[in-house]
Amino acid sequence: MSSEVKEFKIKWGMVIDLDKCTGCGACMVACQAENNVAPAVDGSNKLRSLNWLKVFRLSNHKPFPDHETVYLPRPCMQCGKPSCVAVCPVIATDKREEGGIVSQIPPRCIGCRYCMASCPYHARYFNWYDPKWPGDLAQALSPDVSTRMRGVVEKCSFCHHRFMSAQAKARANGQDPMNLPDGAYVTACTEACPNGAITFGDLNNPAHKVHELIKSPYAFRLLERLGTDPQVYYLSKREWVRREGDNYLENEKTGEAVIK
Amino acid sequence: MDRRGFLKFAAGGTVGLVASPIIWNTLYDAVYWTQNWGWIPRLKKGASEYLPTVSKLCPSGTGFLVRTVAGTPVRTLSDRNNPVSHGSMTALAAAEAELRVSPARLKKPLRRSPDGAYVAISWAEAEKLLKEHMQAAGSSVAAFSGDPTTSINEVLSAMLYQRGSADFYLMPDEEQPAAAAWTAMGGQGRLGYDIEHSDCVLAVGAPILESWGVVAANRSVFNRTHPAGGTPAQTFVYASPVQNNTAAGADLWLPIKPGTEMALLLGIAHLLIKAGKSGFAAGLPNFAGFAAAYTPEKVTAITGVPADRLEAAVKALTGAKKPLVIAGSALGSGGAAGPVMAAIAVNMLLGSVGREGGLVDMPFPSPVVNGAAEYRHLLTRSLVRYTQSVAAGKTSAPKMLIVYAANPVYALPSDAGVRETLKKAGFSVAVASFMSETCEACDLVLPAALGMEAFDDVLTPYGSGLTTYALARPVAKPFAEARSAGELFIALAQEVGVDLGVKDMPELLYKRAYALGAPFRAMLESGTVHTAVEKGPVSPLFYNWEAIKAAASAKAADAPLQIAPVVVLGMGTAQTAIPPFATKVVTEYQLAGKLSVAQMNAATAARLKVKDGDLLKITAANKVETTVRAAVFEGVMTDTVSLTAGLGHTAFDQFSKGKGANVVTLTSISREPGTNLPVWGNADVNAARA
Amino acid sequence: MEERNNTTTPESAGKTCCCGWGAFVVGLVVALILGWWVLPNLMKETKKQPIAFSHVEHVQNQGMTCDQCHFVRADGTFSGAPTTEQCAECHFTILGKDPEEARFVREYVQTGREIKTEWLIYQKQPDNVFFSHALHFGPLAELQTPADIAKFCSKCHLNVAETSVPPLYRENRLSGYSENTMLMWGCERCHAEHMALGNTNASNACFTCHK
Repeated sequence: MSSEVKEFKIKWGMVIDLDKCTGCGACMVACQAENNVAPAVDGSNKLRSLNWLKVFRLSNHKPFPDHETVYLPRPCMQCGKPSCVAVCPVIATDKREEGGIVSQIPPRCIGCRYCMASCPYHARYFNWYDPKWPGDLAQALSPDVSTRMRGVVEKCSFCHHRFMSAQAKARANGQDPMNLPDGAYVTACTEACPNGAITFGDLNNPAHKVHELIKSPYAFRLLERLGTDPQVYYLSKREWVRREGDNYLENEKTGEAVIK
Repeated sequence: MDRRGFLKFAAGGTVGLVASPIIWNTLYDAVYWTQNWGWIPRLKKGASEYLPTVSKLCPSGTGFLVRTVAGTPVRTLSDRNNPVSHGSMTALAAAEAELRVSPARLKKPLRRSPDGAYVAISWAEAEKLLKEHMQAAGSSVAAFSGDPTTSINEVLSAMLYQRGSADFYLMPDEEQPAAAAWTAMGGQGRLGYDIEHSDCVLAVGAPILESWGVVAANRSVFNRTHPAGGTPAQTFVYASPVQNNTAAGADLWLPIKPGTEMALLLGIAHLLIKAGKSGFAAGLPNFAGFAAAYTPEKVTAITGVPADRLEAAVKALTGAKKPLVIAGSALGSGGAAGPVMAAIAVNMLLGSVGREGGLVDMPFPSPVVNGAAEYRHLLTRSLVRYTQSVAAGKTSAPKMLIVYAANPVYALPSDAGVRETLKKAGFSVAVASFMSETCEACDLVLPAALGMEAFDDVLTPYGSGLTTYALARPVAKPFAEARSAGELFIALAQEVGVDLGVKDMPELLYKRAYALGAPFRAMLESGTVHTAVEKGPVSPLFYNWEAIKAAASAKAADAPLQIAPVVVLGMGTAQTAIPPFATKVVTEYQLAGKLSVAQMNAATAARLKVKDGDLLKITAANKVETTVRAAVFEGVMTDTVSLTAGLGHTAFDQFSKGKGANVVTLTSISREPGTNLPVWGNADVNAARA
Repeated sequence: MEERNNTTTPESAGKTCCCGWGAFVVGLVVALILGWWVLPNLMKETKKQPIAFSHVEHVQNQGMTCDQCHFVRADGTFSGAPTTEQCAECHFTILGKDPEEARFVREYVQTGREIKTEWLIYQKQPDNVFFSHALHFGPLAELQTPADIAKFCSKCHLNVAETSVPPLYRENRLSGYSENTMLMWGCERCHAEHMALGNTNASNACFTCHK
């Protein structure tokens, strides 16, 4: 469909410092609560549970005691060239709005799951069953995100409703909704991270912290060489962590990727 | 009418319908049906409010904003204006709005009928039962509290003390052994830690970024000292048997055999003394002489810490301006006093006592309720000693036993005698928010309101360097028939003729705030949190080398395999079990289906002849057997198996019940030499492929 | 019943035709009545608002402005209909002679019953729709009189400003939505046609209006 790449004045992005993440899961809890993702009775079954944001554990593959562990939170990468958008037959997912967030409209989705197959980050999840909030749990649903139904795909939206709320708030207070100050709009995971591992902002706006962070020599993106141009960046001072971000040959070094 | 006529009639009808809007409007209305999913819950609308209060479920009493929509809590959000947490919040506190309405939440007072089933009763009946049994019990009444920071403890203890019973106990936690250690070393106030201003923190055993101390505050310090993409302003060294969550934040990880923390600290003390770091206090020469036996070679042999890392840790401490050493247990309870004594001694050597970024000697709070227990005395009273004594028949069982906000049946090893005590007690009452294992062992179960539903407070949790005081304010209506536990106990005290000097919770909290010089009105109205740097008496600390020597003589582990428990706060506490929204935080290397996952390094796996994914039968020294799934993970000390705590619940709801094994059941209680404290947490086990 | 005839004569054909046209017309008329009047009314359930609120009385006679009840909150959300508490700022006691006002004070203000949750919203949108009033109020700042404001608001809403009794609320029994609920094409009048109301700069991306 829309295979052409659109450039945006605002580009919401996330920088996750992996050296700061301790994998506690506060981001995952906050994400589920914020976005009305139904709880799973056995959430340790990763094939059957649905996570907009999932924390992975990485290893440097060295034996004890030289082993090192790093936790990697994986939201939707909000790719600049999203492969999911290109394959959606019904435009249920799209990247057209200022801010560059890849949208997903569940009632429009026909459940063909092409997008899931095309997403290299496994950021998309399918509702195999109707979501269930047993007992009185539905009382705690957030009013900001509609609940999904069986048979549709869903994914992280960078808490897009918070972007809309921030715009409305800016307008109500006489500010420019298209020039939000740093921190006026952050995702639920950013806010919840007790270690401040996640920084969120407009990658294009020099007044936002992320604008500088992505220029760090320690910054990298996942599977960068596929050319998906993700809007999520990671930071790590450790070379082995950066190598985990893509498939490198033994003689290749990180940071050499030419990003088109 | 003939057939032909009927057809004509039908044709006319069809034309008429086509020419009328009904069909087209109905088709058009099909648009609405893309939005009608009647079997999926609908969202509620209404004005949002963001109300600051504190969590009473998170052991560190994290401050947060409760977002309510039309009066119902839907989210708990971090509160940047909170002077303790600075906007950091734990994974458990993040799940509290959902926990409030979780299926495990108690809705009505329950009474156990003779056949063992629970029958819902009215509050009036429940209150009558409470009063009758309280009056009949006379002075034979005991109470356990699982919440060390609440002023409700004063109501409970005052009620007991005034009726002639001294049997009020706090659940075992980190502070009790630490207080014993601090007292042994000459400390007179309350032990505190100024983590915020330290430039190098060495944590031995204590998972300070996951569950130890005021973890939200600890993590906010970690956040502020580790700017994203920048150079850290604080070095963090962490010693533990497992590369757990805290280890992921450490600049240097010291892999250590479980239960050898003291040897590591004594080895560090020895190297520090050699490096000229010898803060003077009485007993130094003797201590130095004792520590001299802990040469790096010996320490490496005992603890398994590689020599180069031990050296690096000492270098980090000697190179720092304001180093701080913290010792604690992985489990958060059942820890020994010895490692804390050794840590205090190391801090003394480094000159890290009483200065910024070091150990803090804080004043103890004084009670504000008539005849209530002093907190410092509560720290010396051991619940486990009492329950073991009752179970063994050495102490007479109480006629009435109140268990408040605690789940000792799950949280304590089976040889603690909690089940026996509950069985022997004439009448047992659980006041709790969730249907726990302890509730299931009590005669009367009363639903307690959460912190966000009633007046409560958080007074300086252990691990803080500041005096902090926060109010839990009722920002939402209690769920179902839950009631404020504080009000319940105050009313009960009044019923049985105890003069507390306070008539309700707000008055109690007012008195507490007044005693601390905290701005009660602002706290009540806008959720302000009070913090103060309070200097206690300057304690005449000394190197109590005899106490250290005694503690160091504890029997070393001799089994071929050790269990190292790992606490993940996101998976809840003994009181909450796994929150519904935290089941996805449970990973495939913690739980596989209904089996706990035991992580071990490849060397251990090879010795046990298991491969990744194999079943492993673990037999503990106390004969408890459990089957787990093996997983190879190189971040575990050799000959050690890591199991996640917080699994193996038999009560609560579908999100917690029947998942994995409770690691505490594998451990047994022993007594620490010298202090005679009951200790547990590490376990000698045998394991074989199942 | 007519005898069956295998051979149809021209006469008999003409005869049935005549009688058939009558049946056709009857069918047509019955269907038209059904389709235009009976079925649409059967499908729609008419509901009355809990209180016969008069905008005329409040705005024209008492000189209130629109934003005394309907305003954008500081967080950017819209207040919508007022709550009992807001109404009670004036109606803490019975002020006039209107029996509906007296009923409101007795049944709502004095009992604390919430009018806002009972008020029927003509334009209620499904959960999947995000709509911010604040982001649509651009031109509102320049409008002065209630009549101008009413004209602006009635681009989407029923014009209730000049009613002394609220319009009837008609709910589709099948779908559960009010007949006044605006559909997506209503939004796209501007969102798809940027210049429809002067340049509104409205984005037509999915996420602009869906959540």
